[in-house]
Amino acid sequence: MKYKLINPLVLVATALLVTIPTIVSGAESGAQTHHVHLAASNASEAVKWYLRHLPCRAIAEQPDAIDCGGFEIEFVVRATLGGSPGTGVDHIGFSFADLDTKMAELEAVGVRGSGVRLQRFEDGSTLREVPGLFKHGFVFDPWGTRIELVEDPEILGFHHIHLHSEDPDAALKWYSEVIGGKPAKLKGQQDGLLLGRVWLLVSRHPQGRPAPTDERSIDHVGFVVTDLEAASVLMTARGVELQGPTVPNNGRSSAKRAFLSGPDGVKIAVVETGWAGIVTAKLPTEDSSASKEPFTTPRTPWGEPDLQGIWTGNAAHGIPLERTAEAGETAALTPEEAAARRERGTLGSIWGYEREWRDTTLDYAKLAPSRQVAMIIDPADGRLPALTEKGEARAAAARDARAYRRLAAGPEDLSTYVRCITRGLPGLMMPGIYNNGLQIIQSPGYVAVQKEMIHEARIIPTAASPHLGSNLKQWLGNSRGRWEGDTLVVEVTGFNGRASYRGSDENLKLTERYRLVGPHTLEYRFTIDDPTIWTSPWTGMFQFEKDDAQYELVEYACHEGNYGMTNILSGARAKEKLMNGPAG
Amino acid sequence: MRSRLRGDTTGIAILWVIGILSTGLANAEEEFPRAYDDHPDLSGIWQAIGTAHWNIQDHQASAGPAELGALGATPPGRGVVEGDAIPYQPWALDQKQKNFENRLTEDPETKCYLPGVPRATYLPYPFQILQGTSKIMIVYGFAEANRTIHMDKENPEPAPIDSWMGRSHGHWEGDTLVVDVAGFNGQAWFDRAGNFASDTLRVIERYTPMGANAINYEATIEDPNVFTGSWKMTMPLYRRLEADAQVLEFKCVEFSEELLYGHLRKSPTP
Repeated sequence: MKYKLINPLVLVATALLVTIPTIVSGAESGAQTHHVHLAASNASEAVKWYLRHLPCRAIAEQPDAIDCGGFEIEFVVRATLGGSPGTGVDHIGFSFADLDTKMAELEAVGVRGSGVRLQRFEDGSTLREVPGLFKHGFVFDPWGTRIELVEDPEILGFHHIHLHSEDPDAALKWYSEVIGGKPAKLKGQQDGLLLGRVWLLVSRHPQGRPAPTDERSIDHVGFVVTDLEAASVLMTARGVELQGPTVPNNGRSSAKRAFLSGPDGVKIAVVETGWAGIVTAKLPTEDSSASKEPFTTPRTPWGEPDLQGIWTGNAAHGIPLERTAEAGETAALTPEEAAARRERGTLGSIWGYEREWRDTTLDYAKLAPSRQVAMIIDPADGRLPALTEKGEARAAAARDARAYRRLAAGPEDLSTYVRCITRGLPGLMMPGIYNNGLQIIQSPGYVAVQKEMIHEARIIPTAASPHLGSNLKQWLGNSRGRWEGDTLVVEVTGFNGRASYRGSDENLKLTERYRLVGPHTLEYRFTIDDPTIWTSPWTGMFQFEKDDAQYELVEYACHEGNYGMTNILSGARAKEKLMNGPAG
Repeated sequence: MRSRLRGDTTGIAILWVIGILSTGLANAEEEFPRAYDDHPDLSGIWQAIGTAHWNIQDHQASAGPAELGALGATPPGRGVVEGDAIPYQPWALDQKQKNFENRLTEDPETKCYLPGVPRATYLPYPFQILQGTSKIMIVYGFAEANRTIHMDKENPEPAPIDSWMGRSHGHWEGDTLVVDVAGFNGQAWFDRAGNFASDTLRVIERYTPMGANAINYEATIEDPNVFTGSWKMTMPLYRRLEADAQVLEFKCVEFSEELLYGHLRKSPTP
């Protein structure tokens, strides 16, 4: 083999891109370097996560990459189509001298915040001994990449890239011929190739052919060669089709890169020495068609504006109600800022099974996050108007309740959301970390607005009809709609006042405006007019994005599975018992 | 004369349209309304009248909790099950009896749980059908239950996820809307008498217009793990003709909290 491979790379495509140059080895194959590209929805969050939890260090001038003992991981910001399991690059591995301690540390982190998801074996343990190999366990990063942790004192730090193949023998043969490296058995047991000090391991995929790595959380594996032109001639001679070599437009150095397809749908990059990653493309932002040509709202067959479809508030999640001080006068966030805010919103709360389940398990593509600075559009400063005297009193009472939060004596001490009764209005329209589906179905004279979270469906009549009598209040009030041009205007009054929004009470008059501002964008405006609480009305706005192709609302049977309520109350009773000392 | 007649006819036609849109009012002789695509338009507010919610089989009057007096009693009623017989497997008949004995605490209805299908149809409350262009939505007041009937999607076998209300796929057979419902979680009951099925339940519903203001509702029940064969219930659904008919919120969660969590209160309910 004439060309010299310096570094194998593993790349992840959607949100996290990892490039890992390994040390140069004297191996006769010449294989010496690799890196991994991982896809993450936010590169800096991903870098932080890896630096915190794994033996890696930051790389100067490369804010989206880390160096894990000579192996480089690059993170690419892009929509991800799912995690690494199930693809031809199932996982990457790290080795620790004391795995019990490391796993205990990760377990203590938990899944809250920028957490760590543990994979448990059938018996519930997180670690187990593989006879003849080593002790091992698995965790997942927040973007769906599976990471094996092993206790192999011979190689500490970055340990291996584990491929899955329909035909492991053929795959090993291909890698050794095209990439280099010597077929060997790790600890005499596990088939693989040793490239420098990094193992490329191959196992038989459990179900036929693995899924392509492209656009998954491990997008591709990269290898570094000293002379890519020379290497490409040799690879082409072996029948390998290369895309490139070229210097990428957005490359940080003049080093060239080429892509090729490896066995089992594994995307492979080969880069030249001096490769310093790429500046990732900007995320797609808003639907630009609205601004280009006037958009015409479609009509139902019976002639009403047609708002039907499945929409989600996912892109709007993270928009604060009020303009923050840091935002200053900014008109809109940059796509990077928006991605970071969305990421904080997701990672800052419980794990967000939306990502686990819809993004990772169901392979949902993620929508670009909204760049909107704040929901409030009136007043123009993006801040809530002053409270009335009564509003002040209510806010103070709410602050006190928070400050002197006591153990819940019964369900009534908990919010109507925790109790699975309702999020109220307009609370139930607000985007959250998961189950943000909104389905609209129309029949002549009626619009049904169904929200996935807590499975509430509102029926809005659009023909003139009187409001309910004043003795018939409801949690969600009483909605009366009308079409103003292509806009559905809904007036809601008759609230029972028990599901407050930011202090609103039973005198709230909510006016909602739904209109399409593009084929895939539903704008939602809500005007809060509650003169007993605020000195003037105020209006918020955010957008729902159409997601008919992949999204389906699931039954959010909240109350039926409200184990949280049982746990909160029984926890409160147990705590009281402790505080009161031994009984009797 | 001719022109006057024409004028009258136009007037009546306009009134009729307004009536349908705003009140659902229609004369008994009138035909069942049709949607834009000439299928029957099931949109409207409907309700089953009867005692099937107590017991889908024939039942005599019987006592309820003594403290509720006659208010808690079960009224007598004719069953809605064809032949009045449900072909339970022996173990399931035992289970049904146990359910009945424990109904005051175990019936999902008393816990304000989603009622499932077909039970949601004949709870004693109105429900609204919205017939859209590719989906039909049914919104029931009780427990905020609602379901989407997919008219536009392939029916995945099995359903991608289990649920209380199941997964509904519909199609038209002439003037009958046929809905295939599966993917149940097996926790819902059929009535307050403890009739039940498991997660292998499949319900085939048939909604057929009968006159202008009624729908004939049929539900064929199959569950190989509970019954020895399929069986069927039938009942009319009546259009609510009041001008101000509306499906109101029946957010019943708070009324079930004492039953579910009373023992966990700071001052536990005895």
